[in-house]
Amino acid sequence: MTGIVTDAAMSTTLITSVPGTGSAVTGLADPAGAAGASFVLALALCLAAALVALVLPGRIRPAAAGALTAAAGAAAVVAGVRAVAGETWSAWLPDLLPLLGVRLGLDPLGGVFLAVTGAVAVCAAIYGIGYTRHGLSGRGVQAALPLFVAAMLLVPAAASVSTFLVAWELMAIASLLLVVAEHHKRAAVGEAGLWYAVMTHLGFAVILAGLAALAAVSGGDAFDRIREATPSAAAANLIFLATFAGFASKAGIVPLHVWLPRAHPEAPSQVSALMSAAMVNMGVYGVVRVGLDLLGGGPAWWWLLVLAAGALSALYGILQAVVASDLKRLLGHSTTENMGLVLIGVGAAGFFAASGSRVLAALALVAALLHVINHAAFKTLLFLAAGSVLHATGTRDLDALGGLRERMPYTTGLFALGALAASALPPGNGFVSEWLLLQSLVNSLPEGGVAHAVTMPLAVGVIALSAGLAIATFVKAFGVGFLARPRGEGAANAHESPPTMLGGMLLAGAACVALALAPTLLLPGLARAVSGVVGGTGDPVTVAGAATLRLEGIASTISPLLIAAWLVAALVLVLALPRLFAARRARRAARLWDCGAGPMTARMEYTATSFAEPLGRVFDDVLEPESDIDVTPLKESAYLVERVRFHARVPDRIERRLYEPVLAGFAVAGRAATRLANGSVHRYLAYGFYALTGALILLAVLT
Amino acid sequence: MVSLWQKIRRTGRVAEPPPPRERTDPPPAAAELAGSVQIRHVDAGSCNGCELEIASTFGPVYDGERYGARLVASPRHADALMVTGPVTRNMATALRRTYEAVPEPRLVIALGDCARNCGVFAGAYGVTGAVSDVVPVDVEVPGCPPPPEAIVAALRGLTGR
Repeated sequence: MTGIVTDAAMSTTLITSVPGTGSAVTGLADPAGAAGASFVLALALCLAAALVALVLPGRIRPAAAGALTAAAGAAAVVAGVRAVAGETWSAWLPDLLPLLGVRLGLDPLGGVFLAVTGAVAVCAAIYGIGYTRHGLSGRGVQAALPLFVAAMLLVPAAASVSTFLVAWELMAIASLLLVVAEHHKRAAVGEAGLWYAVMTHLGFAVILAGLAALAAVSGGDAFDRIREATPSAAAANLIFLATFAGFASKAGIVPLHVWLPRAHPEAPSQVSALMSAAMVNMGVYGVVRVGLDLLGGGPAWWWLLVLAAGALSALYGILQAVVASDLKRLLGHSTTENMGLVLIGVGAAGFFAASGSRVLAALALVAALLHVINHAAFKTLLFLAAGSVLHATGTRDLDALGGLRERMPYTTGLFALGALAASALPPGNGFVSEWLLLQSLVNSLPEGGVAHAVTMPLAVGVIALSAGLAIATFVKAFGVGFLARPRGEGAANAHESPPTMLGGMLLAGAACVALALAPTLLLPGLARAVSGVVGGTGDPVTVAGAATLRLEGIASTISPLLIAAWLVAALVLVLALPRLFAARRARRAARLWDCGAGPMTARMEYTATSFAEPLGRVFDDVLEPESDIDVTPLKESAYLVERVRFHARVPDRIERRLYEPVLAGFAVAGRAATRLANGSVHRYLAYGFYALTGALILLAVLT
Repeated sequence: MVSLWQKIRRTGRVAEPPPPRERTDPPPAAAELAGSVQIRHVDAGSCNGCELEIASTFGPVYDGERYGARLVASPRHADALMVTGPVTRNMATALRRTYEAVPEPRLVIALGDCARNCGVFAGAYGVTGAVSDVVPVDVEVPGCPPPPEAIVAALRGLTGR
């Protein structure tokens, strides 16, 4: 608690020092720029929300903290949009951290991620007011959420290595606190928290090592200084590999994804939305910022590695999602898939930049950033809707859901909207970004040689396959989860969510619709953000008229608005024609056709498991589903059966092959090490003595 | 595939020429169907004799489909029910529900003597009654089993072709 109070005190120094010391603040475009002011306001509102959560009584705490966090998110959106529009802002606060101080700066690239995080925070905070009223209104959870948002706002605004690392770690710790918020209710939460804590800190350690090395070889901590320096090729390779591993683990990229399908489902739903729609983006931001911006591109194999990791994640994530029967776990796996698609775009951008085609590089990066935004919109909506389902039914198991359409009509409609967007079909918003991504890959010229000719068709295939499986995944999630009849007690007694939760979802849904209809409004800003990083000349995407996208140098155009209009027109026509030309207008209510065999029961419905079973068979070389029949005979005779039990599960194969041996090795090492500690104080003193002597000898030899 | 085409070419046309149409008054519901009758067949307890005749009615020789009648897979797609056999106790509810499931205007054809008046199964312990005891019947086709010519004639009475 005291830590948070000092944080609040820090915020006052931050605010006063911005207009106060002229030398510390260098507003480049406009000294009193609105971008900087809104950014500082957003941070201040987050800290105020945390403070309010600590002092107010429990009854009004969720509403007050939620409203302040939502306001902070809105301020961050303003700051981000202004930064994308070209306003820059930077601040150096030398007294806030010892030695190096805090450096903040806004540029178009950071602005994109700032705006996305702010927008997700608005939806999640409004939703959280209703969601946390029962059971999650404690001081700790309510104060950790705004701090988490503040940390996520700081990451894309950090302009020095030390600031970035502090913000990164603050983000990890705040999110960890939120993940374990419900640990007293379910044992799985504690386990998920442990996995998350270990993975995120291993990731932090490699990022720390990489960025510290980067600062050391550049002779400075500030990003401006690092950009000017040129590290040796070997150093750059090591730095990139280390930071990429760390950022990939944050983005949930295979094989470092194991924490994600555990932590995202077990966290409270508005936190899941924040983590899945905003926090994982920071991994992508890190790769783009360090790889493309700070290290200035690098050799082509870096980006082929990124592309391969992205392709692997896209396929593996969606394959796990299509067989998942836990609604939130399914969404978590889908996050891995979408981050994989984004990394395909980033990798392609780096690869094109390394082989000299700047326009294509800019196009691929624009597609990746647009997909980040689209993913944030639909994943926020889907996680919040899944939270509503959990809130109303008490279960996340798709096999026990169903029949929510009548009981929760608004949630069902909003989830359907999100599912349409996530399955990358027109007129959803995911379609536009995947189309752009495919265009950048398909139109890559063969001048890049063998690597081009081999990678690009493969990447196109991966995107197509993952898009197809995504459709199956979301047909399953929506059809099995919401339609037909309830298959469980919880689903039968479901009720619609309170207005604040619906409001949060509605905002996210509106964002999905806006992104689907008018991506043309965003693209100039994204092109500006990208040109600062890959240094292309001219816009890769031009907007003709109000609705049509035209690509630079490629004879492809798309008009999402017209597609949507045509679809609506076709729908109206299909509905209107039978009404106009039908011979009989009278309608008769008839019993559901059940083949004459008597009433259909909920047990006859498709469940998530049965829906995914054929896909599990098709991909069984990859998924390795396990099934086990357990027959218990009667005591009297082995031929008389008392019980037959059938288990089927699809384990995470990477986890089994890669992580379990390592964990088992650690367990063996730990047991072996207990012999060293036998309780004798003399022995422990001897350990200390020998260790000190050894260290001194080593120093003497080395120097 | 090639051998199939060769077989088709070698076999040629086997359908018999259509017999002249008997002028009968179609039921009023059939007039609304404008020459196209989709039929759902329901076996309410038949010995499968009538089924064999239905199969040959829609086979290549008698080719019932050229008169506008067609067998479909669900009562939801059907205009008419073609019921064979006496209605057994196990099938009475199913027949009633199938009839309910057919969209209006709907017709019922009782095919064969068992469907008309229980035939040789009259009074058997498992039989509820004739088809007309369970659902209203519009057309009856006599015979045990009725020959394909009779079935075709009854169908042409409905389609008017």
